[in-house]
Amino acid sequence: MTVMEKLAFKEDMISPGISACIGCNVELTLRTVMKILGPNTVFAVPPGCMGGVGVVGWNKQSGAKPPVFFPLLDNTASMLAGIRLGYNAQGRTDINVVAFAGDGATVDAGFQALSGAAERGDRILYICYDNEGYMNTGYQRSSSTSKWAWTSTTPVNASGGGGKRQHKKDFPVIMAMHDIPYMATASPAYIPDLVAKVEKAMSVTEGLAYIHIYNPCLTGWGIPSDQSIEAARKAVQSRYFPLFESSRRKIRITRKVKEPIPVKAYIQASKKFRHLDDEQIQELQELTDERYRFLEAMEQVSQEG
Amino acid sequence: MSTHQAAAKSRVDVMNGNMAAAWGARLSRPQVIAAYPITPQTPVVEYLTQFFADQELDCQMSEVDSEHTAMSMLTGASLTGVRCYTATSSQGLALMYEPYFRASTLRLPIVMNIVNREMISPQTVWGGPQDSLTLRDAGWLQIYVEDNQEILDTTIQAFKIAEHQDVLLPINVCYDGFYLSHMSERVEVPSQESVDAFLPSYHSDHILLDPDRPAAVDPLTSGYLLMEYRQKHMAAQQAALDVIAQVHDEFARLFGRDWGGLIETYRMEDARYALVTMGSVTGAVREVVDRKREAGVPIGLIKVRALRPFPLQQLRSAMSGLKGYGVIDRNVSFGWNTGILFQEVRSALCGLDEQIPCIPFISGLGGEDITLDLVGQAADAVVRNTAMVEQAQWLQVAHEGR
Amino acid sequence: MEKSYKAPMGEGIYEVNTGDWRIQFPEMDKTRCTECGICLMYCPVNSVKAGYGEVLLKNGNTRQGLVYTIDLSYCKGCGVCAQECPQDAITMKRENKR
Repeated sequence: MTVMEKLAFKEDMISPGISACIGCNVELTLRTVMKILGPNTVFAVPPGCMGGVGVVGWNKQSGAKPPVFFPLLDNTASMLAGIRLGYNAQGRTDINVVAFAGDGATVDAGFQALSGAAERGDRILYICYDNEGYMNTGYQRSSSTSKWAWTSTTPVNASGGGGKRQHKKDFPVIMAMHDIPYMATASPAYIPDLVAKVEKAMSVTEGLAYIHIYNPCLTGWGIPSDQSIEAARKAVQSRYFPLFESSRRKIRITRKVKEPIPVKAYIQASKKFRHLDDEQIQELQELTDERYRFLEAMEQVSQEG
Repeated sequence: MSTHQAAAKSRVDVMNGNMAAAWGARLSRPQVIAAYPITPQTPVVEYLTQFFADQELDCQMSEVDSEHTAMSMLTGASLTGVRCYTATSSQGLALMYEPYFRASTLRLPIVMNIVNREMISPQTVWGGPQDSLTLRDAGWLQIYVEDNQEILDTTIQAFKIAEHQDVLLPINVCYDGFYLSHMSERVEVPSQESVDAFLPSYHSDHILLDPDRPAAVDPLTSGYLLMEYRQKHMAAQQAALDVIAQVHDEFARLFGRDWGGLIETYRMEDARYALVTMGSVTGAVREVVDRKREAGVPIGLIKVRALRPFPLQQLRSAMSGLKGYGVIDRNVSFGWNTGILFQEVRSALCGLDEQIPCIPFISGLGGEDITLDLVGQAADAVVRNTAMVEQAQWLQVAHEGR
Repeated sequence: MEKSYKAPMGEGIYEVNTGDWRIQFPEMDKTRCTECGICLMYCPVNSVKAGYGEVLLKNGNTRQGLVYTIDLSYCKGCGVCAQECPQDAITMKRENKR
């Protein structure tokens, strides 16, 4: 089956009508990922955009075809680990046990649960959709929010001062350094790459697989709906969000960006960066260059090993 | 199996309360265990992981990163329809409060021993049920026990109570840290065969995550529907009153040990006065009751075993007609300036025609000894008292210069 | 009648009629379309459908392959398909409904 055939003919596992914002690339990501995972899946959607728009359902109805549930904001990985143990106890080892969690539930409140599951080697597939904050509740900052970005809790004053004062947590690398069998970054702008990574993660039978997907938020960042994919693409083309994967600390950049566009071209897509001056933009450019160099160096070391 | 046969197949050992809890869990064949060590519960985790390492315990065992993860993992596991067990204390319970509350509102029959320990501050590791009593309204069933044999027996019963189709609620079997957890006593350990005959395997279909029967667990829910679920939850708590008594009686018939059911009464038949207790202090109160009886004082003892559900009718019928009672609490209810059990008992007795003079006592916080002498003082005060005393009397040994 | 549960469960699919949200809709020009499937790949609401059929090639020949159509039932009118189409074969049109 080609990627196009999979996307065209695998069953959509999500309710055809969910209340995600018009053009939301997280909705695209969820539908795509769940097509690949299929019905033999139990999936967790913690409080966040996808929970809020009805993926877990409303009252006595479900928002998805496979079994789905709300974990708490901070226990997605540990509840899933328990589900895995429960099915292991019953000899049912073929079920996909999956998280589809926002960055708040992953890099902030849910980090201990996730780190613990990664260390213990609980066999779950954890997918984080990173839209850089608590977007469902009105765009509050998370530790995954980019430096200088406007959020409702890192507001900007009339003279352009303010914004988040810290850099974005480099979470994919942190997860890779747990020595888990599979870690990957992905983007809704590179669907065949995303599909391949989900399939690899599904094939992991020993330990935790983690996929970190970068999803620019239209409503919270100030991006026109038709630019949903283009904004995500520019993040990759500028090296701001590199696509790479890691297996037991062996790192490989899956999409080498030889001639990156300036970070400025990426951040201009979002109103949340509109107040930045040249110095601040330069700082984000330098961070991007530095993190990419680090990644290349790690890839180099991995190849030598 | 008759009582005689079950008793013949048990063996006698000497063990501390934590080992008794671990044996209670082991004999009940939990399919998933996730537990995080905390003083004074730590040996429970050590014993269970040793049973597991010795291949004497066939289950999925997870050595987790926190109590929050322990309870979260068990809520996940329980949603696949398997039997789950854990244990904790004090700060660990506080850390797991979020998934703890949710385990009950998802109606998951998880069994958890709580090795009662004070809440900090001040920094402490010693006994007192402030931890679990503070969480008495989180929807779990809670039973408090007095000695190590009762820990083992009640832990086994707990699975049968929690998993009963009329109940389907999680349950705590609570016992005092150090006084029981680290003190060795004679304990009869039933045979696996006799426990298997008593406790059937768990079957769940009331809430399940299963690709073969796809459904959502916990969709976003309107208030009217939440109220419906709360009413059902409260009805299940009430149903548990009968189920606890039934399961207790069945256990007593099979194994020959009777712990009284929801409450235990001691020398209450002709009593005019009573001391009401919970947990390990009951032993000291029993002794004081015997001495007072020798001196001609008509006093008895009521041990509250089930705190949730609260044994309202049982207490009313046991206490109706008394001339006075006192409640010895090893915990505080801050805003009331009494202990928590006192408030519960007094509320229950509001349904009687007469007002019974009563005294709230607070004693033994932070693992302080509740001596025979202190209990004796409490008994004397109850006999003398004719008022509805509303502020706690503190029973403590003088600690001058320390 | 609503099912009665002891604990919060949901069965059957809950859906929002998101087609009602639309103020613009995509229109596909099959004379420009090369049936590449980019629109299906990026449609956030899975509103592009595919089936096997005859694909008209530039040289006038045909081949068997996937052909794509838009089903507006749940389309929110985001315009991603029009934006991403490499052939500019999709244009967004104003909805006439009130």
